[in-house]
Amino acid sequence: MDMSWDSWGMLACLCTVLWHLPAVPALNRTGDPGPGPSIQKTYDLTRYLEHQLRSLAGTYLNYLGPPFNEPDFNPPRLGADTLPRATVNLEVWRSLNDKLRLTQNYEAYSHLLCYLRGLNRQAATAELRRSLAHFCTSLQGLLGSIAGVMATLGYPLPQPLPGTEPTWTPGPAHSDFLQKMDDFWLLKELQTWLWRSAKDFNRLKKKMQPPAAAVTLHLEAHGF
Amino acid sequence: MDIYLCSKRPSWLVDNRRMRTTSDFQWLLSAFVLLYLMNHVNSQRKETPYDLKCTTNNLQTWDCSWKAPSEAGHGTLSEFCIDNRSRSCYQLARTNIEIPALSRGDHEITIRSLQDAGSSTSKFILNEKNISLIPDTPEILNLSADFSTSTLHVKWNDKGSVYPRHSNVIWEIKILRKKSMELVKLVTHNTTLNGKDAVHHWSWVSDLPLECATHYVGIRCYVDNLLFSGHKEWSDWSPVKNVSWTPASQPKVFPQDKVILVGSDITFCCVSQEKVLSAQIGSTYCPLIHLDGENVAIKIRNISVSDSSGTNVVFMIEDNVCGTVVFAGYPPDTPQKLNCETHDLKEIICSWNPGRPTGLVGPRNTSYTLFEGFSGKYVRFKRVEVSTNESYHQLLFQMVPNQEIYNFTLYARNPLGRSQSTILVNITEKVYPHTPTSFKVKDINSTAVILSWHLPGSFAKINLLCQIEIKKINSVQELRNVTIKGVENSSYRIAVGKLNPYTVYTFRIRCSTETFWKWSKWSNKKQHLTTEAIPSKGPDTWREWSSDGKNLIIYWKSSAFRQLTKPQNKSSFREDFSRQPQLRLILWLFNHIEPKSCYVQNDLQTEQAVGMGKGILLTWHHDPNMTCDYVIKWCNSSRSEPCLMDWRKVPSNSTEALIQSDQFRPGVRYNFFLYGCRNQGYQLLRSIIGYIEELAPIVAPNFTVEDTSADSILVKWEDIPVEELRGFLRGYLFYFEKGERDTSKMRDLESGRSDIKVKNITDISQKTLRIADLQGKTSYHLVLRAYTDGGMGPEKSMFVVTKENSVGLIIAILIPVAVAVIVGVVTSILCYRKREWIKETFYPDIPNPENCKALQFQKSVCEGSGALKTLEMNPCTPNNVEVLETRSTFPKIEDTEIISPVAECPEDSSDAEPENHVVVSYCPPIIEEEIPNPAGDEAGGTSQVIYIDVQSMYQPQAKPEEEHEKDPGGGAGYKPQMHLPINATVEDIAAEDDLDKTAGYRPQANVNTWNLVSPDSPRSTDSNSEIVSFGSPCSINSRQFLIPPKDEDSPQSNGGGWSFTNFFQNKPND
Repeated sequence: MDMSWDSWGMLACLCTVLWHLPAVPALNRTGDPGPGPSIQKTYDLTRYLEHQLRSLAGTYLNYLGPPFNEPDFNPPRLGADTLPRATVNLEVWRSLNDKLRLTQNYEAYSHLLCYLRGLNRQAATAELRRSLAHFCTSLQGLLGSIAGVMATLGYPLPQPLPGTEPTWTPGPAHSDFLQKMDDFWLLKELQTWLWRSAKDFNRLKKKMQPPAAAVTLHLEAHGF
Repeated sequence: MDIYLCSKRPSWLVDNRRMRTTSDFQWLLSAFVLLYLMNHVNSQRKETPYDLKCTTNNLQTWDCSWKAPSEAGHGTLSEFCIDNRSRSCYQLARTNIEIPALSRGDHEITIRSLQDAGSSTSKFILNEKNISLIPDTPEILNLSADFSTSTLHVKWNDKGSVYPRHSNVIWEIKILRKKSMELVKLVTHNTTLNGKDAVHHWSWVSDLPLECATHYVGIRCYVDNLLFSGHKEWSDWSPVKNVSWTPASQPKVFPQDKVILVGSDITFCCVSQEKVLSAQIGSTYCPLIHLDGENVAIKIRNISVSDSSGTNVVFMIEDNVCGTVVFAGYPPDTPQKLNCETHDLKEIICSWNPGRPTGLVGPRNTSYTLFEGFSGKYVRFKRVEVSTNESYHQLLFQMVPNQEIYNFTLYARNPLGRSQSTILVNITEKVYPHTPTSFKVKDINSTAVILSWHLPGSFAKINLLCQIEIKKINSVQELRNVTIKGVENSSYRIAVGKLNPYTVYTFRIRCSTETFWKWSKWSNKKQHLTTEAIPSKGPDTWREWSSDGKNLIIYWKSSAFRQLTKPQNKSSFREDFSRQPQLRLILWLFNHIEPKSCYVQNDLQTEQAVGMGKGILLTWHHDPNMTCDYVIKWCNSSRSEPCLMDWRKVPSNSTEALIQSDQFRPGVRYNFFLYGCRNQGYQLLRSIIGYIEELAPIVAPNFTVEDTSADSILVKWEDIPVEELRGFLRGYLFYFEKGERDTSKMRDLESGRSDIKVKNITDISQKTLRIADLQGKTSYHLVLRAYTDGGMGPEKSMFVVTKENSVGLIIAILIPVAVAVIVGVVTSILCYRKREWIKETFYPDIPNPENCKALQFQKSVCEGSGALKTLEMNPCTPNNVEVLETRSTFPKIEDTEIISPVAECPEDSSDAEPENHVVVSYCPPIIEEEIPNPAGDEAGGTSQVIYIDVQSMYQPQAKPEEEHEKDPGGGAGYKPQMHLPINATVEDIAAEDDLDKTAGYRPQANVNTWNLVSPDSPRSTDSNSEIVSFGSPCSINSRQFLIPPKDEDSPQSNGGGWSFTNFFQNKPND
């Protein structure tokens, strides 16, 4: 008799769960999914770009030649002041709101993408050009993804001030060595930005976690 | 060069320094004079002017100075007079004077010092030779530096206007570096003075970048006037001028982005305010060369070619890094294989191989410019993409209207140098047309088509040479060259004839120009079936009557060989040929053929012929009656009628024909029939059988023995079928020899063994053979084989035994019988007459048997020969003569037969050996084994007597007790078979093994094996007496054949060990 009672109880719980199932927002395909999936996608893309950059940086640093491809080479940041800096004080980073965080990301990748395209034009070997072009495409995708997240959250895209668009101009004053240093720092900043973005989007993802989890949790508590 | 101080007093030499250039003699003489006069002068010097010296810096004026007398005070007047043609005197208050340059030769100079106390006068002889030419100190007008090229530019004025005459000037320029003014370069520079002031330039490229350290430059000169005979000296060094670089706050490395030749040396420096820790080029660290301040330099020798992004030179500074990139490469190689051609006479394509890679990429890569000399036009090579195929470059040049000759020069340039390559082309001779497109084929008629194609290009002024490939299925391709006038609209058409009707052709085309340079690529293939045409002649036909004469068989050749049978009693027949369009003419053929008929000559002889290679040559005599042609038909002779493989028609004037066919096979007989054609029809002229190639028969003739006598055999054989003969039979070979069926093998008939007799039967009609002179009752081995020109056939053999010669046998029997009878009669008569003597001689008184020691005597004799072989038992035999007297106890003397070499073994011990017929010289000791048998002790029955008799004969060897006495000592040497302890029990065998090991000789059969090989035998496990039965009595010490090999019933032969022994010893023919 006990078993029979347990079986009926289980059945009742299952029916309750099924009754409530259409109410779970995460499973309700007809409604607005919210920014969650796009944030997740952006986060995934960031991680993929991190992986892609590792391969590209290896190829490109070998192209730059020693000592740039030596693991302990850590030059000061010479002449790369125009590059957006990814490093930021932890307190400052924590104090950023979502909009500012996304805006900074968007601006940074806009600049970095422009520099990367300049790098592509300058590259001497076809193989390097292909690698760079492939990465630029991926980065363009990330930029679009960030823009999508911002649009989903209702944030406006930052408008570049006229005349301040970054351009890649290998002027005569810019020596080859300094150019190599810039390239080195560009890759390094890209790496840091991707790392920071992954952190940003992870944080945003958690923050924007839909209440679906809570409902599920509620159901569990209710059912058992 | 001496200056003589002249006065009224003796003059003396005043300047010993100038004496150096005089001759040695003068020098020595002057030295002595000087020593003398110096004292004199010193005593006079202070009273008169002295030490007159004159120099010039412009060859126009001389600056003379002297020293006033010691008592003369400041402001004392002096009078300086030059005594030449017009004496000129100058009064002056100083002790130097500038006078115009004097002419060559000596001039007397008088200097009078006008003192208060009076005057003192000195006289000097002044000559140009005593004058020193010391140019004025030059001055650097400008010193500039080109830091990018590390070049110093020095500019100065030669002040040539002051020199009246043309002079050579040697300038010496010194480069000093660093604040410590280290001399790094001292160089001379020659110029000439032409009477005018001129500014000179001199440049110097520093190995060290000029930014790295302060560089100082000084200059002096030496005027080398050939007309001036005086002493010439270097001017003083000019004041140095320096070049330095104002360092920035940031450290910087020089030179920046330098492109240099591989293998050259280069110095890099780092201008820094901070201490430089290390420097590296690529991944190689370099020692630092310290310059002023914290500046350092590194020197790279023999630099190697750079990677695509250049070689990095990096200086590590505390908390900082600075560096530069150097590009080491090569100047452009001369463009190789420069070639210019055109596809369409609109655009010229020039291609070349850049040659050795420069090692420089990107903006430093080689730039190419193609320049056309006549038109002055040029195009630049644009590196659209860094292609993977760097070994081939090409440029497009638009053709200039109405210009055919082009003079192209290809310039190659990179930061390290330039090169060029030139080619002069007549472009109309360098046309490499495009691949023809839109290739089409159209019919004109059954043997001609029109080909059309499109070939882009401005070929209106030239002729095109095109090649058409015409390929027929299963045929060799044909190439036809055609020349076509070039057209403007690029569409071309051409007719191609001489084609076969209704044939599938494959066409393709390629073109060039009449002045051939290159063929274009082939156009696409076009397959085309030409239209059908009316046949020009009918197919090749033949016909003949079937063997029953009821049917006419018509043959014709088309794409395939056909046969059609027409019943004779029908005037026409129907057959559906709709699916075989090529046979439409067959009815027409009928009308032509039927009137002809065949004439067959019955007396024709069939001839033989053998082919050569793949064909067979038939020849015949010319027959003027044959007006049409000859027909040779052939068939496989083994085929049934109607037999026709193929035929061939030969013109009537021919007398031979080589018949070839892929169907011919060697070793096959073919019938060839030669027909001649007359108006009335065909007549069979010759019938020939032949082979393309003869082979050896594949079977042997069947033969039988018809009759056999004592000395002859009659053999008869049959013919071999034609199919198996495979050639014309040339004869038979008959071999015979004596031999049994099993032993006689004529293995090598060809070797000509003397015992094999051979008969060669070349008459192939002969089918029997009698072999005479044979021996009676003898087995003969007969072999018969046939042969052709292709070789010997296989052999067939037979064994025949001739009959016995009965007369000889009878004679052989009767003669000995008659002789024996006669001898017996004669002996009987003699014995009868001499019977008393015989009795005395052969039958003396018989002694008492009780006293006879014959047995003991015999025993001792046999004992004495115990070590001998058993074959030597025969000497014992005579003793038995005495034993004859006691027949009651001993067997007859005839028993000695047993041990005769040809005697058979007694069969008393085993009934399993009925065929022990092979030689054994003595009885085996197995018999001895029976002796311990209690039955032997009884000495009773008849059978026992036999055993006793045998025992007594072999006692010396067979006694086991005695043998045991000998065994311990006799381990080696010969070991008679008697040593084998056959009577021992199975347990003793192990011990006996030890003995056997020491023995030199061992019996052929292993006793142990015998015991063990038949463990299943019931007797093997029985008592001692049963051990005897494991083998035949003869088998133990015999070698072989004691047990017949085929005696399968014998239990002894079942054992594996036994069989093993048998296998080796029972060899055939042994």
